[in-house]
This record gives sequence, C-alpha cells and structure tokens, in this order.
Amino acid sequence: MLTCKQQVARSSDYLDGQLSIRERLLVRHHLMFCPNCRRFIKHMRLMSVTLKKLPEPLPADLEQTVERMMREQSR
Amino acid sequence: MSVADDSQLLKRLLAGEQSAFRELVTTYQSAMRAVAYAIVGSRHADEAVQDAWLSVVRNLAGFEGRSSLKTWLLTITANSAKNRYKQNRREVLLDDLPSPHGTIDDDRFSGDGHWLLAPFAWHQDTPEALLTEDELRECLEHTMLSLPQLQSSVLLLRERQGLELEEICNLLEISLSNARVLVHRARLKVFATVEHFEETGEC
Repeated sequence: MLTCKQQVARSSDYLDGQLSIRERLLVRHHLMFCPNCRRFIKHMRLMSVTLKKLPEPLPADLEQTVERMMREQSR
Repeated sequence: MSVADDSQLLKRLLAGEQSAFRELVTTYQSAMRAVAYAIVGSRHADEAVQDAWLSVVRNLAGFEGRSSLKTWLLTITANSAKNRYKQNRREVLLDDLPSPHGTIDDDRFSGDGHWLLAPFAWHQDTPEALLTEDELRECLEHTMLSLPQLQSSVLLLRERQGLELEEICNLLEISLSNARVLVHRARLKVFATVEHFEETGEC
C-alpha cells in the first residue's frame, strides 16, 4: 500500500494519465481508504481547472503587433 | 479553437482583415510567449514572439491545416526562438526556487509517510467561486511569476493552454520525465498558494 507521501508524489502523473496500470491501481487503492488524499486530489483537480479559467489580460503590445503584421503582409 | 474556426480565421487573415489579426494575437500570443520564454528566457522572449509573428505572416498561405493552427503557431515560435538564440540555449534547468507560499514537501508528512498536516476543506469548491476573489487571482499570478523559467512555461502550457505533455516536450525539446517533474513541482507550489489563501484569506 502506498503512503500518503508516495501518493502525493504520484499525483500529477495520476492526473495526467502518465502512470502504468499497476501504479494507477496502487493510487486508486490508496485513495479508496484515505479521505485526506481524496481531498488532496480533489483540490489538485480543482486547481487545474481554476488555472485554465484564470482570465488572461490582453497582450500589452497588441496594436503594434497587429500593425507590424499587416505591414509585413502588404509587402 | 476548432478546425472550422481555424480555417475561417485563416481566410480572413489571408484577406488582410485587421480584426482577424487582432483575434489571432489575442488568442495565441500568451501560449507563444510561454514557449519562447522556456527557450530563451525573459530577456529575449518578446523579441522571439515578434520574430515568430512575422514568420507566421510570411507563411500564412502555406498553412495546410495538417496540424491545428495553435500547434503550427507554437512550432514556428519554438523554431524562431531556437534559431535566433541557439548559441544561448541553456541546459534544461531542473533547479528549483522557493515559492511565496512554499510547496507540499517532506515537512507535511511524518516519518512513516502519513500526513502531519492534512489538506483541509477549502471554502470555495468551484473554479468560478475561487476566481471571484480578486486577491486570489493576483496571488495565483504572483506565484506563477515566481516559478523558475521552465516550470512556469510548462505549467502555463499544460494548464492554461491545455496542451498535452507530449506536445510540450516536442516544442521545448525536453524529455517526458523532465516535463512531468516540472509540472508536478509547479502544481504543488500553486496548491500551497491556494491553500494558504483559503486558510488566511490573504496572499
């Protein structure tokens, strides 16, 4: 059985589908019995989605870049 | 963006529509900058992105849609960055830097590998709820800026841009195992930041 620390060390690989079947089962087995680690994984997932939705500011040099590109195109 | 959207946008770009260029830059520049930043660092990242945009314009007519527009743009960016600064190309740095709110490290576990300080429930449990807090948004940006160059780019490309790890490895010419280490370290630091914010209400 994995320890919590070992589970955390595998957590990104688990979420990214990078574990072997055996390792994946080990993580699943640990999560089944460990509410703390279930919460940890839940928060890791939440954090990933949050980063994906984090609004991005417009590029500061947007207008100059567009102008340069259009000038290049009309050459 | 879907394939249909890509080809619509491409048509408008080829017709020289200013709004299409604006849309292109707005949609893709931050992913391109992350690629350039990983390869040439902050000093030259913006120049490399500008090189890439000019190269994109010159090659627009040759885009055949064999990959997505995004993949094509990021490949051009990686090439621009590599060509221009080949001589400066650093080794893949796995060196780590401290983050404003630390990380989830050995201190969190007892000698037998159990949690000493277990994760606690967060007040917000949806991304929308988390992101309503202006201060948390700023705090996340701050933590991401504090990450080492490659960690920061790999995290941004993986999470914000949704690229697969394999695609990130190809663009940045790093091994899959390095990419896995980088993304994991970065995530644990961001995790520690959110946890800190949920605990104290401040950054």
